Amino acid sequence: MIALQSVGKLYNEGRPNEVTALSDIDLSIARGAVTVLKGPSGSGKTTLLSIMACMARPTTGRVSLEGEVVSGLPERFQTRLRRDTFGFIFQRFNLIRGLTVLENVMLPAAPTGEAHGTVRARAMAQLEALGMAHKAATAVEYLSGGEAQRAAIARALINDPVVLIADEPTANLDSALSERFLDIVRAERAAGRTMVITSHDPRIWEADCVDTVVSMRDGRLLEGVR
Amino acid sequence: MTPWLRRQRALADYTLAALARRRGKNAALVAVYALVVFALASAMFFAAALRHETTQVLQDAPEITVQKILMGRQDLVPAATVEKIAGIRGVTRAEGRLWGYFYDRTNGANYTVMVPGDKAMEPPAGSVALGEGIPRARGFTWDGAPLFLSRFEGDLQKFEVVRTFTRASGLMTSDLVLMNGADFRAFFGIPEGLYTDVVARVRNPREVDTVVAKAGALMPEMRFVTRAAIQRSYQKLFSWREGLLAALIGAAVLAFVIFAAEKASGLSAEETREIGILKAVGWDTRDIIAMKLWEGALVSGGAFLIGTVAGFAHVFFFGGTLFAPVLKGWAVLYPEFDLAPQVDGVQLLSLALLTTLPYVAATLVPIWRTASADPDAVMR
Repeated sequence: MIALQSVGKLYNEGRPNEVTALSDIDLSIARGAVTVLKGPSGSGKTTLLSIMACMARPTTGRVSLEGEVVSGLPERFQTRLRRDTFGFIFQRFNLIRGLTVLENVMLPAAPTGEAHGTVRARAMAQLEALGMAHKAATAVEYLSGGEAQRAAIARALINDPVVLIADEPTANLDSALSERFLDIVRAERAAGRTMVITSHDPRIWEADCVDTVVSMRDGRLLEGVR
Repeated sequence: MTPWLRRQRALADYTLAALARRRGKNAALVAVYALVVFALASAMFFAAALRHETTQVLQDAPEITVQKILMGRQDLVPAATVEKIAGIRGVTRAEGRLWGYFYDRTNGANYTVMVPGDKAMEPPAGSVALGEGIPRARGFTWDGAPLFLSRFEGDLQKFEVVRTFTRASGLMTSDLVLMNGADFRAFFGIPEGLYTDVVARVRNPREVDTVVAKAGALMPEMRFVTRAAIQRSYQKLFSWREGLLAALIGAAVLAFVIFAAEKASGLSAEETREIGILKAVGWDTRDIIAMKLWEGALVSGGAFLIGTVAGFAHVFFFGGTLFAPVLKGWAVLYPEFDLAPQVDGVQLLSLALLTTLPYVAATLVPIWRTASADPDAVMR
């Protein structure tokens, strides 16, 4: 479904502080599968996710989605992909402080032009499914780590994306909450959603619901994919 | 509702929520902004109202004023001039006027002393009618207190006050002393048969220039001032003062714009992160700019509304106390009068453009720079 060919990424290109974040990445993500990218901090996992989800452009190589090259698309098409095709769960959740849980969840749907009531109902349904409906009117700064994560998941799912991407989803959670996250992964997998997750948490990459584990180090993929 | 309108509504909803989140900061911004608009609006309203008032007052003034110039200064006009002017075809009436200035040593004010053209308004011998500014400046403690005028050391002329003009006519009468013709001549030592100047009424206003040309040929030593010229002088005077004040306030506007640009270009880490998140969850650069346009419109529109209404109230209900000295001119006797509330569309539009556009432009450009980058780069 997603194919990366010879993808490389340089930050601060041409400057004294140039950094090579990714080199020569070739990777395919299968539709409906759960893929985990594992590796130590600084191995390039987050950069790879950003490139896959059209949030950053590769310096070299290309990214294809369903056979179509998307890495060179103009900004407005990439925005549409981010909105309609990908749902992104950030490591620190990146909820907007001062807004309520419901307002945060509805954010990706704001530019779609859908009726407010429809979006609201869908957001409430997502929160309900994640056991967060009672927190809908709470400002996000008052949420616990687990609640913030579920709010972030609800936001990622509001536009019913084909691909759900999660960056270190359990980094800030205890065992029980990590297990709860895996339950959500199982449910989404069962629903046919493609998922790409980065993690250096063995509980994630050893979970029964994970189809593929890809190891990374120093911006490169290591041999041996599970 | 169309999808476009629904989208705008969603963006506006988000903007309102965003503004409410930074309540204190935005309230302070609107307050400073409204203050700048208030100052500019007050200056514009005040000067426009003065110009309007002057036009109204001069509407009934005589079409031509004739002065005798001697050695570059105004001299007394002989009575024969009145008859010569009256004899010019097109002139319906000509009359000599007696008026002059009196410097009051007791309070440093200058009074305009005049004999009214209308005989019915002429006070009886030994009495005067006063503009409201004179009793105010003199500190008259009771109504009808006599007016003592001293022309030189040891001199003291007493006049009974038969009437005091109201504030409604303050623009023209504040410093006015109306006197009987004989009293005036005696007080200033003007012999019979001489006048300060001559005023003439012309039947057809379009013939004023022709009459002036004829009179000028007949009496080359005279200066002819038309009502239109006086009107233009007042307009220019008030426009000049308004311009001066507007330039000063313009500097304040500029400072505010620099502040706004500084604030916007140095987007806080939180604001930058927020833009990154919005882009990451699928907001287009246009959506973010539209949202910021809403924000700019609400802040600048709100400040414009508050500042303009406050400026209007300041000028028309509180007499424009803050800027009156600058716009009326410096004097010991300030005329006290109420300006008729009136605002025209062009004035409002200029004010809106002068105050809201620079702010919106100053804030939008840096936001566009941030919003057009990849979300990953913005959040990193």
